[in-house]
Amino acid sequence: MMSNQLSELDTFRREVRDFLESAATDEIREAGRKTTSVFAPFKQAMAWQKILYNKGWVAPAWPVEYGGTGWTIHQRYIFVEECNRLELPPVLPQNIQMVGPAVIGFGSEEQKAKYLPGMLSGDDFWCQGYSEPGAGSDLASLKCRADSDGDDYILNGSKTWTTYGHHANKMFALVRTSSEGKPQQGISFLLLDMNTPGIEVRPIIGLDGEPEQCEVFFTDARVPKANRIGEENKGWSVAKYVLEFERGGSTFGAWLTPAFERLRARCQQSNESGVRLIDDVSVARKLAKLEVDISAVEHTEKRVNANLKHGENPGPMASLLKILGSEVMQQYSELQLEISGVDALAQQHSALHVESGIAAIGSEADMLAMPYYLNTRAASIYAGSNEVQRSLLAKAVMGA
Amino acid sequence: MFYQYSEDQNAFRDSLRRFVQDHYDYETRRQRLEKSEVFNADYWRQLAELGVLGLPFSETDGGLDLDFPYLMAVAEEIGRGLVLEPVLPVTVAGRLLAASNSSDAKSHLAALISGECLVSLAWEESSSRGNPLLTQCTLVTRGDGYVLNGKKQAALAAAESQFYIVSARDSGGDLQLLLLNAKHSGITQRCYLLADGNSAADLEFNNVELPASAIIASASQAEALLQTAISESIVVMAAEAIGAIDQLLVITQEYLLTRKQFGMPLAMFQSLQHRFADMVIAAEKLRSLLWAACQQLGSDNQEKAAAQLKVQLGESARYVGQQAVQLHGGIGMTDELNVGAYFKRLTVMELLCGQQDYHLGKLAELALVS
Repeated sequence: MMSNQLSELDTFRREVRDFLESAATDEIREAGRKTTSVFAPFKQAMAWQKILYNKGWVAPAWPVEYGGTGWTIHQRYIFVEECNRLELPPVLPQNIQMVGPAVIGFGSEEQKAKYLPGMLSGDDFWCQGYSEPGAGSDLASLKCRADSDGDDYILNGSKTWTTYGHHANKMFALVRTSSEGKPQQGISFLLLDMNTPGIEVRPIIGLDGEPEQCEVFFTDARVPKANRIGEENKGWSVAKYVLEFERGGSTFGAWLTPAFERLRARCQQSNESGVRLIDDVSVARKLAKLEVDISAVEHTEKRVNANLKHGENPGPMASLLKILGSEVMQQYSELQLEISGVDALAQQHSALHVESGIAAIGSEADMLAMPYYLNTRAASIYAGSNEVQRSLLAKAVMGA
Repeated sequence: MFYQYSEDQNAFRDSLRRFVQDHYDYETRRQRLEKSEVFNADYWRQLAELGVLGLPFSETDGGLDLDFPYLMAVAEEIGRGLVLEPVLPVTVAGRLLAASNSSDAKSHLAALISGECLVSLAWEESSSRGNPLLTQCTLVTRGDGYVLNGKKQAALAAAESQFYIVSARDSGGDLQLLLLNAKHSGITQRCYLLADGNSAADLEFNNVELPASAIIASASQAEALLQTAISESIVVMAAEAIGAIDQLLVITQEYLLTRKQFGMPLAMFQSLQHRFADMVIAAEKLRSLLWAACQQLGSDNQEKAAAQLKVQLGESARYVGQQAVQLHGGIGMTDELNVGAYFKRLTVMELLCGQQDYHLGKLAELALVS
């Protein structure tokens, strides 16, 4: 990068940092620190979304005409880095990274006008209805039926792993509108209201004892055909486009780098017997190795992004970035747990809740290490398991 | 050299397995944890009646005088059934009492074996990072007795115990092991559940005044007793891990054979077959070092063998736990399926009694002096 470009980016970074520091309330910051998965605590994540919306920064990657910022890909990366440096809760990805791009890419002008404002402001919260009990890695085998009935579809079946389904007022879903041809060919992309009669939501308790995912059941739920995005039976292309769009903006490195710096800083502090963990050569070497791995993630993301033109998707590199990013995140979670050691053992559900007013038994970092470790196991499962990603990558690279 | 249970040991194991199956189905365990009911006094009494609490104690102490593998067999079943009652830490604490020269200490053994009294061995500290000789707890002389100050971390079964064994350094720098009544004034307990649902507590000693008789072992004898207790803890923990791992393999195998994606069972995918094979390898390495360490208990090689075992426990527990979750996908991340509960138990075992790095460092030091 050129030096004048650098100083422009430095100015931008300064501007972003100043705004974030002044705009984030204590409650939002607490929620950011207590985020132990990719999904921040709901209430504060939505409050933070509203603040960014009012500033015009809620959807940096969207086209400017729909509410994007017009930032370059470097600026967008810096924005994520600065948010993470301050440990702010990430805006929930469903509205901005998942359903928004689908509506922008495939929706009618009427649909865009109807749905995009609520997605941006957070007045609506959209949950994702993709996976089913029988359709996980093999998503195209989904069975949730949408039978045609005049101007409506009638939905029967179920969805699962619907994150924050119990908080959502809207859902974007993949449903089966035809059983003919290849499984991918009979799928449609539908938008629906969660208060539609015939929809039932059941939260699932996760490994950390918290409800994050949900099951959603449909019994003769009536959804207007006007809510379909794209053509009937062409929903698979919409979903694929969204996934690629989502992966094109890979920012694992922007999360990992500041998190790593905090972890190293902890190891540089003396404990009660005056010992610094970083003086233990095995800890120092593990930190050094993790820093190399994080650096590789960050620069692979930046290299891929630098070579992309606006709106392009990175093809098989998207799979590579997902595998690399998620697995280094898991390594980070392991080292963080090892560093906390026996201090990470106590279960502290109440103290983990934002605004509980309950102090952690030890340090806050020690309290978070175990739930973060447990939840981060999902990173190699969600958004296309790493096994599926490796198959996609191998197929694309080997051409076999 | 023995690498498997004898016929009698197996028979004992089978009887315990039935007890565990009858009392610890996963749904009941979940309901107990929801109510934070981690210790069931009735189950504890039944375990005592089965003889489980008296296996590795001499008959004069009121025990059954059975070989260590009996306790390992118990540990395996505890691991397989995710038993919450603290049989293993209490038994190891009892063994320490039995090995001391203190008649006071031994006087509690009969009650421990009959299930009326529980004892917690409190040695882990936040800054000791697995090393039992690194204690910040201090013991200073006052009059005819002593005053204890300091903190212990994650003392297993402390909430349920009537007595604590606590390690501390005296002003001369010698390690001392003390036996304290849990109700002694100046002790604060902070009880909690571990990430896996087992019970533990942080203990704080604030000018706890003790008579001289509270000391149950001193200096080199205290170090030896504590090291032995930790070696034994590691062996029973590894046996518990093997029970948990074996069960995870059974559950995962069944899932791979029945779950279909892309038109065929997951077990047909070569990458998953290889993963499962690696999980089996991890399990067998741990099983081998478990028996190797069991053979060395009581010998000069005990500490080295236990350190090797804990290194392998760290590796195998993490790999099998993580991959069992991974192979199950989303359902492996839920509290509804027991896979996550095994994963959490195995993760806690990784962190207790010194992590892999601590034991590797210890082995490296042993190699330097040998």
